[in-house]
Amino acid sequence: MPHIREAAGGTVTEALSPRSRSRGTLWARLGLRTRVTVMFGMGALLLSASMGGLSYFTTRHFLVSERGTASTHQAYVNASLIRKELRAGSTQLVPLLVQADSGTAGSDSVLEVAGQWYARSFSVSRSDLPRSFRRLVLSGSAATQTFQLYGAPEFAVGIPIPSVHAVYFEVFAISDLGGTLRVLALALFAAGLVTTILGAAIGRSASGRSLRPLTGVSRAAVAIAGGRLDTRLQAASDDPDLVGLTTSFNQMVDQLQERIEREARFTSDVSHELRSPLTTLSASLGVLEGYRTELPPQAIRALNLLTAELRRFERMVSDLLEISRSDAGSADVSLEEVTAGELIQRSVAANVRGLYGDPIPPEIRVDPDIYTARLRVDKRRFERIMANLLENAAIYAGGATSVEAHYGPQRHDGRSTIRVSVIDHGAGLDRSERTKVFERFYRGHSSGKRGAGTGTGLGLALVAEHTRLNDGRVWAEEAEGGGACFVVELPIVNGTIT
Amino acid sequence: MNSRILVVEDDERIRSSMRLALEGEGYDIDEASSGEEALDRFSAHAPDVALIDLMLPGMDGFECSRAIRRQSAVPIIIVTARTDTHDVVAGLEAGADDYVTKPFVAKELAARIRALLRRARPNEEETTAFSFGGFELLPDEGVLRRTGGDEVHCTRTEFRLLCELAANPNKVLSREQLLDRVWGYDYFGDGRLVDVHIRRLRTKVEDDPALPRHILTVRGMGYKLVP
Repeated sequence: MPHIREAAGGTVTEALSPRSRSRGTLWARLGLRTRVTVMFGMGALLLSASMGGLSYFTTRHFLVSERGTASTHQAYVNASLIRKELRAGSTQLVPLLVQADSGTAGSDSVLEVAGQWYARSFSVSRSDLPRSFRRLVLSGSAATQTFQLYGAPEFAVGIPIPSVHAVYFEVFAISDLGGTLRVLALALFAAGLVTTILGAAIGRSASGRSLRPLTGVSRAAVAIAGGRLDTRLQAASDDPDLVGLTTSFNQMVDQLQERIEREARFTSDVSHELRSPLTTLSASLGVLEGYRTELPPQAIRALNLLTAELRRFERMVSDLLEISRSDAGSADVSLEEVTAGELIQRSVAANVRGLYGDPIPPEIRVDPDIYTARLRVDKRRFERIMANLLENAAIYAGGATSVEAHYGPQRHDGRSTIRVSVIDHGAGLDRSERTKVFERFYRGHSSGKRGAGTGTGLGLALVAEHTRLNDGRVWAEEAEGGGACFVVELPIVNGTIT
Repeated sequence: MNSRILVVEDDERIRSSMRLALEGEGYDIDEASSGEEALDRFSAHAPDVALIDLMLPGMDGFECSRAIRRQSAVPIIIVTARTDTHDVVAGLEAGADDYVTKPFVAKELAARIRALLRRARPNEEETTAFSFGGFELLPDEGVLRRTGGDEVHCTRTEFRLLCELAANPNKVLSREQLLDRVWGYDYFGDGRLVDVHIRRLRTKVEDDPALPRHILTVRGMGYKLVP
C-alpha cells in the first residue's frame, strides 16, 4: 500500500497515481458497450481459433497418416517385387523400376544395389533424398520421412533389402494433400472470421438491449436533477431483473421528493408566518416616516437603521420563499415575449436607486443591433437578476460601472443568444471563487467588501436560479482592467434578429 | 370628503398599523376582522375601496370578495401573503381588481388605491360614446349598455379597460400599455391582472367567451378590440 508508507517528499504516491489512473481510464473510457463488444468478439475469436486449429490439425494428422500407411504398404509391395526379380538374377534394373512405379501414380523410385544407384526418372535422384534419411536407411533400418523437394511436399519410404544387398527408396508426391489442407485452412479461417464478427455483433446488440433500461434511468436522473421531481421510471416489462431496479429507483425518487417538498414547505411556511409581523412593522414604520421632520436627530438615525434593517429582513424572507419554491419545483414562471433593449434598460433603471452606499449609476451600453431582438422571459425574474447583480456590485465593489449587452455565440441547440454583463471595478474574484459565489450564503473574502453583512447571502444563488428558469446561464469572469464581470446569457426567440 | 376604505384583516396588529398608515395618507378607515363582519360593515356603510386579506378564519377572502362583488362594483384589492399564481388568479377571478403582497409599503398601497379611484379617462379628446358589436360605452356616465337596451354591470376597472380598448379600435395594445393606463403600473406590472380582466369582460360582451369576436388576443403582442 503505497500511501501508508511515509514518503519523505510526500509526493511519491501522487507521482504514481496519475499513471495508473490513466491506464485504467483508457479501457474505461471506451464505454461499457464497446468493452462488451470487444470482449464478445475476442471470446468468439478465441473459440473459433481453437476449434478451427483443433479440426485442422486432426484432419491433417488423419490425412497424412492414412496416406503414409498406404504409401508404405505400396513401397513394401514394390520392394518385395524387386527382391524377387533380383534373386531371379535380373540385371535389367531400370525397366524393373518402371514396372514398380506403374503400380501407383505420382511416385518415383530410387534403387541402390551394391553401391550402384539407379533411378527411373530424372525428377527424383539419390541426391534429392535427405542425407540423414538416406544414411539411416543405408545403415539397415526401414524409415519414412516427409520433406520438401523443389518446394513441393514429398513422402519418402526407404526399405533395406539385405538378402540382395540392395536398398529401395520410393518417393511419393503429397502436394495434392497440401492443396486439400490449404482449402480446409482457408474455410476454417473464413468461418473463424465470421464467428468473430458475429460474436462482436451479438455482444453489441446484447449490451445495447441490457443497457436500454439504464438509458431510461439516466434520462430520468437528468430530468430529476433538472428539477422535474415528478419524473418516474416506467415499469415497462415484468422482467424480474429490471423490476427491482425500477422499483428501487422510483422509491428513492419518492423519498427524495417527499423530503425536498417537506423542507421546502417548512421554509415556505416560516416565510409566510414571518410576513405578518413584517407587515405590521413595515406599515408602522411608514407612519413614523411621516413624522420624520418632527423627530430629534438620534431618533432619525434610529429610524434609518430600522428602515434599512427591515428592508433587508423583507428581502431575506422573500428570497427564502423564492428559493424554497424553486427547490420544491413549484416556481411559477410566466414567460412572455419582450424586446431585449427595453427589458434591459428598464430592469437596470428600476434598480439604480436605493442601492447600498448610493453608488454612481452604471453606464448602460446596449448594442443597437440587439435592441429589437425578442426574448421569451419572465420579466419579473429578469428584473430580480439585474437587481441582485447591481446590489452585489454595490456591496462588494462600490457599484457597477457599466451594464453591457451584445450578441453571444450560438448555443448547442442552435438558438442565438444575447449576453448581458454587469461590470464593476472592484477587487474582482479569485478563480476559485467564481463558481462558489453562486452558492447559498457564500461569503466572499473580506477584501473589497464594504459593509458588514449587508446582503442576504441569497442574491447570487437566486440570480443563478432565475437565469436557469429563463433557460439561460450565468457565470462570473474577470472584467477588463480588473474587477468582476457577471454575464447572463439568454436565448433569443428564433427569427427575431434584424 | 375623504374616500372610505374597508380593511378586512384578522390580525389585529396588522389592522391597526394599516389604519394608522392609511389615515396618514388621508383616508377614512372602517375595520372588519372576519368575512362575515365585513359584509355587515359593507351594507351599513358602503366604502369606496375594500382591502381584503385572503386568509381569514371562517369565510375566507375569496368568498368575501365574491359576496361583495355580487352586490357592488366597488374596487377590491386583495391582500395576500402568497404570490403563487393560484392564489392571485383565484383572487382576481373572485372579483378583485388588484392585489398587494405582504409585507407591503404603505405608500405603495396608497398608490394602488388612488389608481383604482381614478375616473375613466380613455382619451384626451372629448369622446362621449363608443360603440362596438351591439354595445354602447358612455365614459362620462360610466355606463356600458346594449344598443337601445339594458345596462350591463361591470366593475370600474373592467369599464376602464374596455374604454381603453374601445378608444383604439383595431389597434393592438400591449399588456404593459394597459397595465399603465388602467392600473398605473410600470413595465414590471403583473400581466395576469390584464388577462383575468379580459376574461371577465369577454363573459359580459361576447356571445361565446371561448371564441371571442370583439376582444381578441394577439399572441406575443397584446389585445385589441374589433367593433
